[in-house]
Amino acid sequence: MVMLGADQSAISELAKMTAASQIERTVLEEEFNWLLKEEVHAVLKQLQDILKEAARRFSMPSPSLEGQLKPENFILGSSTMDQVKGVLTLQGEALTQADINIKVAKSSQVMHFAFRDDKQWKLQQIQDARNHVNQALQLLSSRDESYYFKTGAEVNKLMDAVMLQLTRARNRLTTPASMTLPELASSGLMKMFTPPMPGDVMVNFYINLSKLCLTVYQLHVLQPNTTKNFKAGGSSVLHNPGAMFEYNNTKFEVSHVHKVECVVPWLNDTLVFFTISLQLCQQLKDKISVFSSFWNYRPF
Amino acid sequence: MSGNSLVLPIVLWGHNAPTHCISSLLVMDDLSTIITGCHDGQICIWDMTPELEINPRALLFGHTASVTCLSKASASSDKQYLVSTSENGEMCLWDVSDGRCIEFTKLACAHTGIQFYQFTIGTQREGRLLCHGHYPEILVVDATSLEVLYSLVSKISPDWISSMSVIHSHRTQEDTVVAVSVTGILKVWIITAEVSRMQQDMDPVFEEESKPIYCQGCQSISFCTFTQLSLLVVCSKYWRVFDSGDFSLLCSVPSESSQSWSGGEFIAADKVIIWTEDGCSYIYKLPPSCLPASEHFRSSVGKTTEGSIPPLVYSIADSTDKQLLICPPVTRFFYGRREPFHKLLIQGDSAGRLTLWSIPETSPLPQLSSSEELQVSASISLQEAFDKLTPSPAGIIDQLSVLPSSNDPIKVTASVYIPSQGRLVCGREDGSIILVPATQTAIVQLLQGEHMLRRGWPPHRTLRGHRHKVTCLLYPHQVSPRYDQRSLVSGGVDFSVIIWDIFTGEMKHIFCVHGGEITQLIVPPENCSTRVQHCVCSVASDHSVGLLSLRERKCIMLASRHLFPIQVIKWRPCDDYLVVGCSDGSVYVWQMDTGALDRCVMGITAVEILNACDEAVPAALDSLNHPAVNLKQAMTRRSLAALKNMAQHKLQTLATNLLAADNADKGNMPKYSHNSLVVQSMKTNITDPDMHVLFFDVEAVIIQLLTEEAQRPNPTLVSPETLQKTPGGADKGGSFLANKIFKQVKETIKENIKEHLLDEDEDEEEEQRRREEKSKSLSLLEYNLTMDTAKLFMSCLHAWGLNGELDEVCLNRLGMLRPHTPISFGLISRGGHMSLMLPTFKDSLLRRLAQGCVDGHKLSVTEVVGKGTYGVSRAVTTQHLLSVISLANTLMGMTNATFIGEHMKKAPTRPPRPGTPETQRKSSVQTSSPAMQSQIKQGWSQLAAMHCVMLPDLLGLEKFKPPLLEMLARRWQDRCLEVREAAQALLLAELRRIGQLGRKDTIDLWAPYLPQYVDAVSPGETDAFLVLRVCEVETDAF
Repeated sequence: MVMLGADQSAISELAKMTAASQIERTVLEEEFNWLLKEEVHAVLKQLQDILKEAARRFSMPSPSLEGQLKPENFILGSSTMDQVKGVLTLQGEALTQADINIKVAKSSQVMHFAFRDDKQWKLQQIQDARNHVNQALQLLSSRDESYYFKTGAEVNKLMDAVMLQLTRARNRLTTPASMTLPELASSGLMKMFTPPMPGDVMVNFYINLSKLCLTVYQLHVLQPNTTKNFKAGGSSVLHNPGAMFEYNNTKFEVSHVHKVECVVPWLNDTLVFFTISLQLCQQLKDKISVFSSFWNYRPF
Repeated sequence: MSGNSLVLPIVLWGHNAPTHCISSLLVMDDLSTIITGCHDGQICIWDMTPELEINPRALLFGHTASVTCLSKASASSDKQYLVSTSENGEMCLWDVSDGRCIEFTKLACAHTGIQFYQFTIGTQREGRLLCHGHYPEILVVDATSLEVLYSLVSKISPDWISSMSVIHSHRTQEDTVVAVSVTGILKVWIITAEVSRMQQDMDPVFEEESKPIYCQGCQSISFCTFTQLSLLVVCSKYWRVFDSGDFSLLCSVPSESSQSWSGGEFIAADKVIIWTEDGCSYIYKLPPSCLPASEHFRSSVGKTTEGSIPPLVYSIADSTDKQLLICPPVTRFFYGRREPFHKLLIQGDSAGRLTLWSIPETSPLPQLSSSEELQVSASISLQEAFDKLTPSPAGIIDQLSVLPSSNDPIKVTASVYIPSQGRLVCGREDGSIILVPATQTAIVQLLQGEHMLRRGWPPHRTLRGHRHKVTCLLYPHQVSPRYDQRSLVSGGVDFSVIIWDIFTGEMKHIFCVHGGEITQLIVPPENCSTRVQHCVCSVASDHSVGLLSLRERKCIMLASRHLFPIQVIKWRPCDDYLVVGCSDGSVYVWQMDTGALDRCVMGITAVEILNACDEAVPAALDSLNHPAVNLKQAMTRRSLAALKNMAQHKLQTLATNLLAADNADKGNMPKYSHNSLVVQSMKTNITDPDMHVLFFDVEAVIIQLLTEEAQRPNPTLVSPETLQKTPGGADKGGSFLANKIFKQVKETIKENIKEHLLDEDEDEEEEQRRREEKSKSLSLLEYNLTMDTAKLFMSCLHAWGLNGELDEVCLNRLGMLRPHTPISFGLISRGGHMSLMLPTFKDSLLRRLAQGCVDGHKLSVTEVVGKGTYGVSRAVTTQHLLSVISLANTLMGMTNATFIGEHMKKAPTRPPRPGTPETQRKSSVQTSSPAMQSQIKQGWSQLAAMHCVMLPDLLGLEKFKPPLLEMLARRWQDRCLEVREAAQALLLAELRRIGQLGRKDTIDLWAPYLPQYVDAVSPGETDAFLVLRVCEVETDAF
């Protein structure tokens, strides 16, 4: 039965190899079909559940008021300094109330500002993140269990679209808009307060990761004729003391910067959800790509 | 770069059409052009005949992300402009006729919709683009400068706008913008004349009205243009008709269970067409309660019940035998504003296919049973259009890649061009790597000649080692001279990286360190540690990065814990850090020496770290995955190098320290001779095979030709000084700029001599070895790179078939070759944006030319070879004529400037070494007679004359797009003397051609642009000034 000739053994070896690769191919094909039929939908379901949970965080209903979002109070402070304190009320994506106390360094006088009753400040970062999540959910819901994925490319394309939305959503929260000081000075935020904010104080609100941040800049006016070393600063999330800018033909220099912040627990949750979903998407793409080199194979 | 130097691209597309997964669609108003944008960022222009035949014409490159929306950007039909935006906020304004990029800008936010609208401002009508997207405002952008003028803002619950429509009310003479936000709130802004007049930085405009209409997931809104009294809102789960006056609901139709609507439009006062996400469309007849003409209008307000589905007139299903689609198709409806008034439903899908339905005016006979199915009027995909062509579109090494078993050649999957050797390296899908002389292989593909009979021509070398597809190639010596010039590095789909010796064809080493296919090979920057300096950095699809030492032949670092694909590699050489940016925005900082992960960060810190790397290394060698970006970078880098070079030349006096320059200097000086031709491989999608673009730099070709002429061992011409005198003498006065060119020529000569002498300094042994290797490598083919480049270029540019006598002279005396088919040229415009003609452009051309023929006989493709490109657009004509005339003039001034003969086979002889007996010199000296020389010169002069003066008459005006005066005027002062002279000659010829009336029109056209006061002159004004100046001079002269 067993051939002992060297040639024969080589041939049988070759035959075995081709046979093996044939079996291997069938197994791979089966596995790939399983991936497209079962695994993809399982992942999509999981993704939908996570993202629905994330989307829910953006619109927590108020237990008392029907149809309204739950207002939450946050006390912003810092462990190292107590010059600035703020109490902010966040209702969904909008800051509805704000109370800011600033202790001026020179005199021990405390300044107090609050939002005017008719005004609220929308945090665009939160709205954008919410909209991106909703778009991702919409993409996912268009391919429910009844849909049959025919190719890996199709899954990849869907994952790319979902990941784009999720990356955008996360980036909106992790990277606040960087603004120049004149942009900040001219934004509507300065006109929101009662009593009106004096010309030498500026405030900014933004989200950084899961934290709600308040920055207070104290300014001093530069003499109009001091051209020495005047250099207008660029745009940044947080400007440093010494940064200079010109607004309404007056030159200012930042003398003090106070930054206080407070963690918003539900934003932290959403960030975790985004990260998990992104990883799920990438893992699915990686699984598909394992097969792609196999499918694209063409013998020469 | 495109602004200054004259660079012409020629494309070799290959058999495979580029991937074009359509993401957006537009039909221009005259229904003769269709525009499609794709997920990879390219834009395709398709020509359409009144009989609805579609043919792709050109592909526009410039966007680096998926195209999100397209809109027309001009109202007039004679100057058609197009605006496109991409996922990452880029916005581009293109000329539809030739694909020139007029203007581009980038905003931080992505637009999802644009609408062009002309607002009436006083007596003038100003074009505006209204944009909405991932931001809560509507931005009003100037349609020519792309500057944001003002924004429409919501006071009440501002949110992203999902859809928008503009209408001009005849009653109030006001323009009204109506939009629906993502939360389903309808907003109305009124644009008064006062608002339209607003300039930048004004207060925002607040909405007039805000009304919740409870339309979640709104896909599109559109006014009934027939009555102006109703509004159609399509949401994914239902579509609704509203009264456009008070926005009360008139009817609501739900979608069927599994389908979701994705858009719709009124096609008549009483009919709407609605389409679904998966590509089916339905035409409904509206119930009487929605028809303003009916007495029942508004009868259902307040009592609308869902579920009453109006009668279906037609249903349009997508054909079932389609290729597998990977994402939902895009559907749009357009109607012609002039003859033949087609109403077109058009669909673009992921396979690059356009499907067209012409919707008939009349509804079918009333059928009670079921609605009728509408037949497809036309359908074509890019690949189909490519397949129809005979001969098939050429790929760069098709003749070497033919498989006996199949029609399709083996695909080229990666390529790199080595300019110093004029050699192209192509990695293919079967794992082999081919080294081939670039000009020779391009000549085979593009031109007819005796080479067609030779098998396996041109001589090439094949490297075999990879088990499967080669995914990337790198020639490190080209990036930095610290690498051995013999090393070539290749990465494959088989996870391996191989180092080759290109001179011997030997495989030096195989690295198997990655666990996925290699996606990128990068050279580390100059100031890294010495160990790292001899490494290349490899990136693989298993999200790992390796530093592979070419010298030690081992992997010195493998960074592999990344969760997401690697998007960018940056360096902090001073800190010994390798910075890896991943696609999810995370940044990993690795220590190169120890291989330890220093940090992994996200968010602002990550952005800051990446930015800091850019500051530390000005010319950071980051490479992105996107081919279009790569190209753009390549272009910018090229121009940077050129700029740097210019600066250096200014500083360097052509002093006697010819040989004293230090060695370090050698590497920084890109030799001009190498830039005349650059072969850039491109792919629109990562899965596509490579296509190749040959970039010809006219100025560099001229410099190189002059250099060689100067090096010619001819006693009367040998010294650079005489060279400067000869051609420069014509323009003694203000030729400071032109002088620089000659300096460059001299520099290059100097370089050559210096290099030669440096060679000699090295060990005799080394020299011996190198010479052996050289001889081996050159055994492939010895040829004259410069003359070959010029031959290829001139043959492609010449307008064949217009003057039989001249064609004979070109073929027999000058040695030019006739192209196989019309050549796909390209046009480079601002900021590295590029338009490349698809090989199918000639079909449109044939059709147009056939229309011009009175007898109506069909022209064959060979008949339009060469003529066609002068009928594409005025900008293309200008560039081509300038190139062909300036080159012909240069060649005219050269000795033995023919592409036939022995001198073509040899590299130009180097200047003899001092003290070396001149043995080879005799052989290379041409023994051509003076009579022959004068005939050649005469040939070139005839060629130049034909293109300069006779072309409009020979071609006929309908087939000839005259050159643009302002482009010529701008070259009036070109730094390259030859180009300048060509521009001047062409400008004068053109001014003479357009006659007195034409000149007057030109003056009238440009006069308004003249500056009021002389300082602060913008580019437009300079053009105006130049054109007017020239016109005046000319008018006086006649």
